[in-house]
Amino acid sequence: MAKRWGIVVAVCALAAGACGNSTTDSSQANGDEPVGTLGTVSAEDLTKNVPVDAPGVTDTAIKVGGVASTTNVLELQVDQAFKGAQAYFDMVNSRGGIYGRQLELVAERDDQMVNNAAEVQGLISQDEVFAILPVATLLFGGAQTAADAGIPTFGWNINPEWGGPPNLFNEKGYICIDCATPAQPWLAQEIGATKVGLLSYAVDQSADCAEGVKKSFEKWPTAELAYSDAVPYGATDLSVQVSKMREAGVDFVTTCMDANGSVTLAKELKAQQLDIPQYMQNAYDQRLLDEFGDVLEGGYVLTIPASLEVPDPPEGLRNFKEWIAKVPGAEANELSLAGWLNADLFYRGLVGAGPEFSQAKVIAAINQMEDWNADGIVPHVNWTFEHDELRPESCGVISQVQDGAFVPIFAEPGKPFTCTSNTADELVTEHRG
Amino acid sequence: MPDVVEYAIRGVPMGCVFALVAIGIVLTYKTSGVLNLAFGAQAYVSAALYYTLRDPDRFGWPMVPAVVVSVLIAAPALGWFLDRALYRHLRTAPPVAKLVVSLGLLVAIPQIVNLDFLLGSQAKLAPPGVASEDPIYVAGINTSANEIVTVVVAVLSVLGLGLLFRRTNLGLQMRAVVESPRMTQLAGVNADRVGSFAWMLSSLFAGLAGVLVAPLFAQLTDLDFFGLLIAALAAAVFARLVSIPMAFAGGIALGVGQALAAGVLPADNVLSTGFRSVLPFAVLFGLLLFWPGLRDHAGGGDPLAGVDPPPPSPGGFVRPRWMTVLNRSLAGAGLVVFVVATLAVFDEFWLRVITQGIILSLIFLSVTVVVGLAGQISLCQAAFAAVGAFATAQLVDKTGMSVLVAMVVGAAVAAALGALIALPALRLSGIYLALATLAFAVMFENVLVPLEAVSGPTRQLKVPRPLLAGIDFANNRAFLLLCTALLALVAGIVLLIRNGTTGRALTAMRSSELGVASLGLSTGRLKVIAFAVSAAIAGFGGGLMATFERQMGRQVYQANFTFFVGLVWVVLVITLGARTVPGAVTGGLSFVLFRQILEKVLGVSATLAGSVSFILFGLGALTYAKHPEGIVEAQTQRFVRLVSRRRAHPPDDAPTAVDPVAPAEARP
Repeated sequence: MAKRWGIVVAVCALAAGACGNSTTDSSQANGDEPVGTLGTVSAEDLTKNVPVDAPGVTDTAIKVGGVASTTNVLELQVDQAFKGAQAYFDMVNSRGGIYGRQLELVAERDDQMVNNAAEVQGLISQDEVFAILPVATLLFGGAQTAADAGIPTFGWNINPEWGGPPNLFNEKGYICIDCATPAQPWLAQEIGATKVGLLSYAVDQSADCAEGVKKSFEKWPTAELAYSDAVPYGATDLSVQVSKMREAGVDFVTTCMDANGSVTLAKELKAQQLDIPQYMQNAYDQRLLDEFGDVLEGGYVLTIPASLEVPDPPEGLRNFKEWIAKVPGAEANELSLAGWLNADLFYRGLVGAGPEFSQAKVIAAINQMEDWNADGIVPHVNWTFEHDELRPESCGVISQVQDGAFVPIFAEPGKPFTCTSNTADELVTEHRG
Repeated sequence: MPDVVEYAIRGVPMGCVFALVAIGIVLTYKTSGVLNLAFGAQAYVSAALYYTLRDPDRFGWPMVPAVVVSVLIAAPALGWFLDRALYRHLRTAPPVAKLVVSLGLLVAIPQIVNLDFLLGSQAKLAPPGVASEDPIYVAGINTSANEIVTVVVAVLSVLGLGLLFRRTNLGLQMRAVVESPRMTQLAGVNADRVGSFAWMLSSLFAGLAGVLVAPLFAQLTDLDFFGLLIAALAAAVFARLVSIPMAFAGGIALGVGQALAAGVLPADNVLSTGFRSVLPFAVLFGLLLFWPGLRDHAGGGDPLAGVDPPPPSPGGFVRPRWMTVLNRSLAGAGLVVFVVATLAVFDEFWLRVITQGIILSLIFLSVTVVVGLAGQISLCQAAFAAVGAFATAQLVDKTGMSVLVAMVVGAAVAAALGALIALPALRLSGIYLALATLAFAVMFENVLVPLEAVSGPTRQLKVPRPLLAGIDFANNRAFLLLCTALLALVAGIVLLIRNGTTGRALTAMRSSELGVASLGLSTGRLKVIAFAVSAAIAGFGGGLMATFERQMGRQVYQANFTFFVGLVWVVLVITLGARTVPGAVTGGLSFVLFRQILEKVLGVSATLAGSVSFILFGLGALTYAKHPEGIVEAQTQRFVRLVSRRRAHPPDDAPTAVDPVAPAEARP
């Protein structure tokens, strides 16, 4: 027996001596070389149909495909992202498409939360799409696969994997979960809060979020962080936490929890008659208000693309509402808007790439955009650096739950976004369109 | 009112929730001898049905008829069905066999309920409670009518069940049926009828718990019920799985303990937060190790058990020479076909799927060692695999080490952890060992995985593909061949172990620990070896998975190594054959290929394909009591017998498989 083990160990040792790590980066081997400065594309060019040798491109169509966690354990209608992308394509196709071709969403894969990398691979090698969009998944395990393949990829940014690779794009630009950002200190200042409570889950992403909130109130001390706790994920009893917040004199509570946690907290606040507003990270969902609007009343949410309720909506939002209503089974919500925005950025990338477009040219075109705003829906993303670098200011729409609906409270007609400098020591704010 | 008292009182309602579930677990064990890990799944059935009936968009029923249907009709009906279809035939089966069957149900039942044509796959916003959730103030502390109902039901349950078991003939008969159904029948009691009633009662309890607990969650998902079950297991173990009053007390103590920990320990402190997260599982683990009476309790048995002789051991099955030749020929031909297909046929998608299946096959060999060879049920194999994956990623990231070397070191780290976990195994066996490993798996996921020191930063760590003797395995086809070679290597090691001295000792220990000890062998040492080798294999496979994914972190963990996925792994391997290498390989390939074939080849929707896969994997475990050797081995033996008969050479030296649950008169 010992002899056999010795042979096994020797074989392993020999193998170990001969091995190293691969340094191959397949993204460098795929697609065309990035182009230099892209010329301006005229309206005439947009109808010019020239032969293009690229995956998913025929004489009459440009085919894309997406993946969503359609089967998920949460109450998330992520498949609405497909509807949003389809609505945008319907709009473009109704105007004749682009370069003599129709935009077609040919694959809607379901990663069931855990098969993301396989489904992304399937889009590339089986569906042979030109671009991957939309990606609306709870985990983005296929990020590396998409990055390695050098394929233009567009999705819903809730995972850190969206940051970094130059061919991954999303609907809101780079987000840094554990960085100091001014939105919450500014909101605390505006509503006159003096003592803040912070509740998060004892899991990594929630903990990162809590770290960001703490840094924010350290940098802009508009209110004192009087109570902070991390509860086990999925905790259903927050009675002690609320009791301690009452003792600490908390008059504004901010959370790094999912919608479940926000509802649980709101119920307990109501039960203990602690009438303080809650800032909710993940609660921009009208169906949630339909069910729990009474306990969530007075709470605040921040949306980075413009919320659907902004007064005097920008052109992009009007188009979205018009076209999403024509797609069977579609709802106007955060996810369908994300799909729409993914399609918008892809289309603009195609425009920038010109009639002889390729995957690499589309990526290069987008990465030269300094001011993408999707006709007013997005607060001006600069793709020259917003893959992995925080922008100098934070912009978003803050809404309050009033009578079971989200009401943008700081937006001005034509200027839905509240923008605050990330770098200034003072809270310098202005409203923008 | 002092703060501490207030916090303690605030913990009572949650404690009653734990108590309610713990009482249900104890009730099931007491009346059926089954440690029913599917109790949470049964509770979910009633909760989901109650939700559907009350949902204004579907039925919109009032509370009373919805409760009557979901708790008083559907829940007992489910219990009756489970008894008639399954557990009636398992009364004399070992506790571990019953545990495996309940694990299968745990996997299958929620998937069946969530089928679109039943209650729907999407999670549901929680239904309103059976009573108002508006605040009521008692001594200055808020509660609600719904919470009061939960407390009252828990108290009444303790009293009612106490009366049932102590004061009624039926209670006595239910306990007697668990001890010895044959003896009970000899006393003129219809054991089948009593057993059915016991299951209907325990299932009704599950339904009651489900409907009362559902409003606690903003959304209704089966995973929440499973999480609650795991926490409540601590209270049930505190009750030694037999005492209903102690289960009640344990539940209350757990709820109050959690509230006190939240109130008294410093908030916003990493240690405090970690301690509170782990409290129920640490309590469970500690009780399993140190609570007196657990091991003694497992020693009871049916005085008429000898009427049902055990099935023949797999070692007794002599494989004919022609079968060995056939196997090797088929394996050789299969390998050639596989290599050709790898190099020429598979597209990148199928390459990925098959590679994943090969890696899982390698990991599943760890189950072969610990469950198949040593006969120890381990439910933390996914945690061992994750340890190997995290260690590989961290070593490569921090030291620039060769990834293959890092995988071996990762396997060593996992082996050390496996040996550590084996120490409790020295004191435990059977269902208690299974529970201990489950508690460890849950602790690992909730406490260790979130730590940056374990799993790395929020962004995934990059893990390169290996470069071996000048061959760059960044190419997916080359990497699949490498994985296949490594699978063959590890399978060879497992076979070496199985056929060597250690393997024979492990096999003997599986049959009789007492017998092995009487030969002068240390069962403790054997268990430590089995766990360490098993963990090393899982850890090595985990490292391979990390380099396959080219990254490792919490997202890869969520996609591949969660403790629930680990439960499915064990169920699958045990079902297909934990004692043989083909069982593990078939399991690994089935786990990823079955769903993909349903979806991509047969055109079944992704949701349905996923559900059907898990349902079949789960229901497959129901065959365990009949075929403990696994479906693959059972079918192999059947094939050999069939061929032997046709060749008119009856295999006199091969014992005929005996159905351990069939009536004695029906056996050959």
